[in-house]
Parts: sequence; C-alpha cells; structure tokens
Amino acid sequence: MKRRDFLKTAGAAGLISRKEITGALMDFGCFNSDANLSKVEARFYDKLPDHEIECRLCPRFCRLGDKERGYCGVRENIGGTYYTLVHGKACTVQADPIEKKPFFHFLPETLALSLATAGCNVNCKFCQNWEISQVRPEQIRHIDFPPPAVIRSAKRNNCPSIAYTYSEPVVFYEYMYDTALEARRDHLRNVVVTSAHINTKPLQELLPVVDAIKVDLKGFNQDFYTRYVRGNLRCVLDSIKTIAASPVWLEIVYLLIPTLNDDDASIRGMCRWIRDEIGSDVPLHFSRFYPMYLLRNLPPTPLASLERAHQIALDSGLHYVYIGNVPSHEFENTYCPHCGEKVISRKGYRISEINLKHGNCRFCRQPIPGVWK
Amino acid sequence: MKRRSRVVIIRSRKSLSPDGLSPRILERMFMRGLSHTAESFSLPRVHTGNDTSIGIKINTIGGKALSTGPPVSLALARTLLKRDVREENILIWDRTNRELRNAGYRLNMNRFGLKIYGTDTRGVDYESRLTQHLRIGSRFSAIQARLISHSISLAMLKDHGLAGVTAGLKNYFGAIHNPNKYHDNRCTPYIAEVFDCNPVKSKHRLTILDALFVQYHRGPAFHPSWNKAYGGLVFSTDPVAADFIGWRIIDTLRAKKGIPSLKEEHREPLYIRTAESMGLGTADPNAIELVEEEI
Repeated sequence: MKRRDFLKTAGAAGLISRKEITGALMDFGCFNSDANLSKVEARFYDKLPDHEIECRLCPRFCRLGDKERGYCGVRENIGGTYYTLVHGKACTVQADPIEKKPFFHFLPETLALSLATAGCNVNCKFCQNWEISQVRPEQIRHIDFPPPAVIRSAKRNNCPSIAYTYSEPVVFYEYMYDTALEARRDHLRNVVVTSAHINTKPLQELLPVVDAIKVDLKGFNQDFYTRYVRGNLRCVLDSIKTIAASPVWLEIVYLLIPTLNDDDASIRGMCRWIRDEIGSDVPLHFSRFYPMYLLRNLPPTPLASLERAHQIALDSGLHYVYIGNVPSHEFENTYCPHCGEKVISRKGYRISEINLKHGNCRFCRQPIPGVWK
Repeated sequence: MKRRSRVVIIRSRKSLSPDGLSPRILERMFMRGLSHTAESFSLPRVHTGNDTSIGIKINTIGGKALSTGPPVSLALARTLLKRDVREENILIWDRTNRELRNAGYRLNMNRFGLKIYGTDTRGVDYESRLTQHLRIGSRFSAIQARLISHSISLAMLKDHGLAGVTAGLKNYFGAIHNPNKYHDNRCTPYIAEVFDCNPVKSKHRLTILDALFVQYHRGPAFHPSWNKAYGGLVFSTDPVAADFIGWRIIDTLRAKKGIPSLKEEHREPLYIRTAESMGLGTADPNAIELVEEEI
C-alpha cells in the first residue's frame, strides 16, 4: 500500500495521530487533476436556462456555465448541477487549543479538532493560510475525512469541539453543516472561524447547528475591503448582527495592519459600531500582523499601535478587549469589567489561572459572559 | 509614422470538411498566417541550441466540443517543423492532463519528440514562489516560467459571460494557479496584468486565435445554438490587436443572428482597452493593418 493511500484510509478512520495528520497534508508540489474530489450537490443555488447556475451562498452570486467554477475554486457547475468538490476532503487537520482560534470565552483549556479544505471566497492580501485558501483542491494534498471520521477523531483526541477554520468554512458549507449535525448528535460542540462573507439565508440555517463563531473583521471601510480583501463589508457587518441576534457565542478579531487599517478613526468607528449594534460584552481581539503573502513589504504591527487600539476600544465602552499574536502580553488576560481583577490568566495559548465561579468573577461576582463549560 | 500592427485572418471553408478538420488545409492556413507575421516573429531555429523551446499554450477547458483539438495544434506544430524548429523543442500544453485528454490529446512527456502535457504533470507543477505584479499574486506554471523560452498563445475565440471575450490574452489565465480569483470586475484589469507579468510578457511571441468554430453567445460554455463554423485562424504578434479583431468577429456573428452586440449587452471586453493603456498593443482600428485571405 502506498503512503498516500495509507494516509487516506487511516485518516478517514481517525486512526492516525495529530502529528502525522498535519505533517502529511500541508504540501505543495502535488497538483493532480485526477485527484479524488467530491461530487456532492451544493446547497443555495438556482438553476438557470441552458445549464447555467447562480450560486447564492455568498454575496458574489457567481453565475456559471457548464464546467465553470465559482470564485472560491471549490464549487463547480457540471451539466447544470452545482457541486461542492471538497465535501469530506480535508487538507488540514489538527487538534488545537481553543484559545488559538482565538476563543477566549468559550470552553477554556480544551482542544478543538480543527479542519479545513482548500478554497476561499475572498482574497485577503495578508492571508496567513494562503497556501490552502488560495488554491484549488487539486493543487494540494487532502485526505478523505467524512463526517463520521471527524467525530471519531475528535473523540480520540479528547476534543469536545470541532473547529471549521484555517481557510474559509463558508466555501465548504455542506461539509461543515453535515459534520456539525452529526457532532451535535454525539454531544460535541461546533465552532466556526470565518470572514462571515456569507449571505443571510445560509448563515441563518447554519446557526442552529453551531455553538460559537469567531469573525475576522478585516477593516471598517469598503475601500479597504475592495483593495485588500476583495469582499463586501456590508455583508460582513450584516452577518455579525445576525450571529449576535442568535444564541451562538460570538467573538471578533481585527488584524491590525500598519498603514492600512490602523487609523484611529476606523478603529473608533468599528468599536462604536460593535458597542451600539452588538453590545459591549462581545470580546474583541486586536491581532498583530506579520508580513505575509502579498504584503511582505509591510512591517509587523508595532506594539504601541496594538495598545492604542486596545485603549480606544475600552474608551468606546467595550468590556473584553484583547491583544493577540503577542505572547505573554498583559492584554491576553481577561479582566473583570467591574472590579478590574484578573479572572483568566493566559500566556499564549496556555491558561495559568481561572478566577471564575459559575461563570462569575470570583472576586465581585460580576457575571463574565461566555460558555465556560 | 508609427508602424501599424498587422492582424491576419486566414479563412477556409474547406478546413471544415464533413469528416472533420482537414489537416492539409489547416497546415496551409498556418503556413500562410506565419508567412504574413514571420518578419516580426522570430522562431528559435535548429542552430539556437537545446535551451530554447516553444510552448504552444492551448485552451482545453471546454472539453471536446469547445477546445483547440489535436488536428489544429498538431497542424501548427508540423508547420513549425517545416520552418526548421526541432520537434523536441515544441511543447503543446494546458493546465491539466485531464483536460488535455478530454479534448482528445494523447499525452507525451518523453524527452524526445513533440511534447504534450499539462502543468499537473509530476515534476512540473506551479512554481512554489509567488509572482507579484500590480494586482496579481499568483504562482505560475513551471512550463511558462521555466521550461519554455518562447510562447505562442493558440486560443479559442469565445464569448465570455464576464470578460466579454476570451481569446489570446485570457488564454494565459491557464498559466497561473488561481485564475478563479481574477473574474470580478469583468476580469479587468487582471487579464491585462497577468499578461504583463514577466513569465508571459518576456516570452510571448505570437497570438493565434482558433476561430474555426466560434462560440459567439452564452460562452464560455458550449451552446450549439450559438456556435458557428467560421473557418478562420487569426494571427498577430500584437496580442491586443488580435483580441480586438476577435471581438469584432464575435460581434459580426452576433449581428448576423440578430443578437445585440457585446457593448449593447454591457459586456464589451474592458480588458482590451486596459491592455492597450498598459502599452501591450493596440485596439485602435486605424493602427491595425488587417490582412484577410481565403484559402
């Protein structure tokens, strides 16, 4: 049996270890048009005359003829029926601390079985996972990892949740949904890490089967979204509001990029929008940018910029504001907004101390919002 | 006075015999087309050494019904052989081996003889590093980036729902790993900017539009109702002028069927003007010398 076949089988059965999984899959130099892709009918599309279709999953509304693929690269019109090519085809599988997503107010100190397929429906110039998000599924190794195998692997690796992450789970919607449904039956939680570039109807149908969503809010003006994301900001803001109006736990990350989206006006505008439209208790993470993909010419975010953004957010009335990608920074910790005491101490992804009792601050009993168990 | 860009249309109804495309006629068409453009198209000849090679980039995404098939590209290859190009210096290629096979090609990756294969051939693939140029950030096929020294874009001429027209310039979308990321805003300015990237611009020598059968409406997918046997090949060393004339052919066919022009449908190919503004060629009819021949 060849190594590749072994990995396919073993991966599907959830038998191989964490290290083997990640080591096996992240691999250029394997473009193969005969790769075994899925042919599962996609959801959220309209059939049109002459074998054309219009996808309705995200605000691009790709209108495609026969043999054409959408912007995401992983959904294809074949003879007038639209298919997802990545159902059960994971290119990255890993058990991560939930804090890495980052979720700071959801099941702390637990692992999330994290998976992704190829593809994405935006093209952020600063994408940290571009090697899997900006490729077609034939251009990267993947394993057969159907929903039952995902569940088994999560249980084997002591992961109480499954994370749909790394690339963009919107584009592998059907795989995510089907897996989440099965996970629910097995009392596992589902968390999503997304740009939220998705139409309202598919989002509303997804919410009942997931438990937490972290949204990457990339900037706060459409010009930035046009030039550096190739996306639609209004759609993302609407998605955030839809999520916030549901029982799903929400956290937001803002990657602070020097000279592009780090101006005080944008940050203040965003914080006030969050406060007024979503509420002061939604955790907001300002994450440090490192040169990547198509923005290698910019420097990493200065610490002073992150701390300034942090202060603007607090001054705007937000209660839980963090700085990410700066290990051991004091603003990785959770502080009670009432008494100011540190309720959760963190160093990177590790938690050293939790001062919560039944979800309340141990010192002043202030409720600290989150999903703590 | 600035020299005009020459675009040559060679047509022959006989190329489309009842039994299929006539190889003999196709070769004559290629001979005539190259003879009109040869003075500005330098071919690597037998004495230029082993490190030169011609890549003929074709478009096979449309399957057997709407691709440049073996009779056409092999006729071009035979024409090049008659112009003293070595057989082992010619590579007919596209994105994937699967698409080539589906279009009727028999692959050949041997060192000797005419080569036919796709970027996904083992040991080929895309370059691992990104080419970043203007708004383009893509990995180029190793074929375009390293394995060939001269490039011919042998492109299907088709209507395209987003770009307006897909022809010689857009053919190079098949040379990058992520063409799906460059279809918004009607593929503008991306078609022009991909061509302007060094792996393409430094090697491109000649555009030949396969206008034997033209999908003039509802492209790029195959719709027999709007597919016309035009019987033509369009040649130019000016890639913009070639696409401009291709656009005119499509609009002519549309008019004959009583279909609105691309401009009337708000689908005129903006990328052509963009490419012209970038200095890649001309789309000014007054600056184009059009030569038409019937065989």
